[in-house]
Amino acid sequence: MGAFIGLAFKNVFRQKKRSFTLGINYAVVAFILVLLLAFSKGATTNIATSLVRSTAGHITITGQFAKDGKIFNGLLKTGEIVAAVDKTFGGDARTLTRYAVQSMVYYNGLSKRLPFTGIQSDRDTGFRDQSTFSSGSWEDFASDPNGVAIPEDAAEYFGLTNGDEIVLSTRTRFGAFNTGILVVRGIYATDNFFSRGYVLAHYEFLRNLDLAAGDASTSVYVYFPSARGLDERRDLLMEELLLRGFDVSVPKTDSEAVSAVSAASTKYEEDKEGRDRVMLKLATLDEVLGIVRTVLAAVNAVGAFIAAIMLFVIAVSIFINLRMSINERLREIGTMRALGVESSMVTGLFVTESVALAVIFSASGAVLAALVATVIRFGPVFPAGGNLGLFLEGGRLVLIPSLLAIAGVTLTISLFAAFFSYFPAKRGGAIPPVDAFSRVY
Amino acid sequence: MNTIRRMMTAGLLALAVVPGGFAQSKTVSSNDPKALAIVKAFEDKLNVTDLDVTNTFTLVQKKAGEADRVIQIQIYRRDKADTFALVFKYPESEKGKGYYRSKDDLFLYLPSTREFVYRNRKDDVGSTDVRTDLFGKSDVTAQYWANLDGTAMVAKWETDVVKLDAKQLDVSFPVQKWYVRKTDGLPVKVENFSASGTLLRTTYYLDYKQVAPSKFIFTKLLATDALEKGQQTLLTNENISTARIPDYTFSKAFLEEQSR
Repeated sequence: MGAFIGLAFKNVFRQKKRSFTLGINYAVVAFILVLLLAFSKGATTNIATSLVRSTAGHITITGQFAKDGKIFNGLLKTGEIVAAVDKTFGGDARTLTRYAVQSMVYYNGLSKRLPFTGIQSDRDTGFRDQSTFSSGSWEDFASDPNGVAIPEDAAEYFGLTNGDEIVLSTRTRFGAFNTGILVVRGIYATDNFFSRGYVLAHYEFLRNLDLAAGDASTSVYVYFPSARGLDERRDLLMEELLLRGFDVSVPKTDSEAVSAVSAASTKYEEDKEGRDRVMLKLATLDEVLGIVRTVLAAVNAVGAFIAAIMLFVIAVSIFINLRMSINERLREIGTMRALGVESSMVTGLFVTESVALAVIFSASGAVLAALVATVIRFGPVFPAGGNLGLFLEGGRLVLIPSLLAIAGVTLTISLFAAFFSYFPAKRGGAIPPVDAFSRVY
Repeated sequence: MNTIRRMMTAGLLALAVVPGGFAQSKTVSSNDPKALAIVKAFEDKLNVTDLDVTNTFTLVQKKAGEADRVIQIQIYRRDKADTFALVFKYPESEKGKGYYRSKDDLFLYLPSTREFVYRNRKDDVGSTDVRTDLFGKSDVTAQYWANLDGTAMVAKWETDVVKLDAKQLDVSFPVQKWYVRKTDGLPVKVENFSASGTLLRTTYYLDYKQVAPSKFIFTKLLATDALEKGQQTLLTNENISTARIPDYTFSKAFLEEQSR
């Protein structure tokens, strides 16, 4: 059997030009597929990491509350929600509480509406770890309760420098206007797509600015050591929250999960139910990423479609290639058959040759794709503000090639080659020795 | 900037003392009878309770460095039922949009999506400095504590200054100062402040028209934004009619019909 396979591999390059032409096609298809899978995996991983570092937890709790016939966006009884998390998961879970406000900012005759995120700077250090301060520092911001850390583009718009004071004017959740002053304590840049544009202020400042109650917040993020089993963990947490009198629900769709994570509006609507309550929505990271996965699946589908067209062309090439090869090797077939080699063995030899060609070139293409992905991953730095921003980490495109992808693509192409070479090979193997020696088949 | 800073620092300090609370409502919780009488007197004059009013408002918004923005609105008002309907006539991009208010409920109609959006009753009109509450029945005393804050001259008129502090947070401006003309008891200037005590805007009532005995409607108003220097809105009130308006006008269906 070993000698048989060795013979097949030896025969692969008997017609070098023809083999290379077909082999390059295998390699290109494998290259495209492996690179696409590397992009897809990299994008999913990068987006999940970036989200968790900025605007989502493994479980993100947002919601609304009904009071006096009106429904307001945001949470009440935040302390009790955090207590429910602690009771359910003990030390396994960590919580962060934030307060988001959209506010007009006035400075030096200019005005602009900006999204403010109020954080507890002593615990919520994710922004610190992924920001580069061009002016001021995280420590300056953290130590000043009226401090603000502002993104570079917003600072540039207003012409702000460290120590400048900006005026905020916002319509609070109840309808009344309130104003405040923040002092610029840091101007920062980040390559985290989801953190860009966030103006960081202190949780208590924004809550007071919004004239909200002491136990109000806009979101609670729950983090675990790993992102596994989030659905089960959420079920446990929902049970505890229900026991504590909260109305709880889960997002019905992926887009609803994304909305829940990004909600910061303080506008209110009519309450049809007429019962004061706090309604929580618990979205897992998987649900938030669901919409990303859908987009990436579409990208992969386009890549797979292109690959399918190429494979169709390859299928025709395999057929023609093998027919030509059989015609050229009729005497060889006749000799093998005359020596007692079964027709199935002859068929097997041709199929094995075809598969060997596919394995060699598709594996080469796949490995080359992995190398290119690695070079891109650690090579060129792209602008964080560009179109690729969502897929960048440290300015570099995140491509994660995997052995599984390389093996899977190689195996798929090899099986494909085996299938499409089987039928012409079978006809070749079935030629009687006399016919093989006497005529062109 | 320093002035603003001082004012707001004071406000924020107050908030810091009462976290999440509302500084002004904690300090003021009663009416001065004299101030209350002044407010009720001008409300009696401005609320045309027994009449329906139809009129056309033209708003010209001026903003530094930008072209003037003009908005024209048709108003249908019935103070007796505490209701009004408001339809945008100009510009074309806003045409068909409208508001319908019934007591505390205010709905914005968006013709592009054919839906009604429940809004704060103090909604801005077309992103200008003018608010929808300007078009309806005034009921200041139900929402604010009224107290006298001395007298002041506004242009050539001597005025009583009435300071209003909100009872609830469901108002645009938690603190207001109304400058009421001593000669006829009509307001000529209103200053609106935020919860932390910062002046946000000043409105000047430039002219009034008498529509019935002791009943007045303003015909010219100027609103200036205190935070955004150079931004002001001039409002002209024309084609005033007190003829009865069909009941159907005060309904959501009317707004839908107007957009077709």
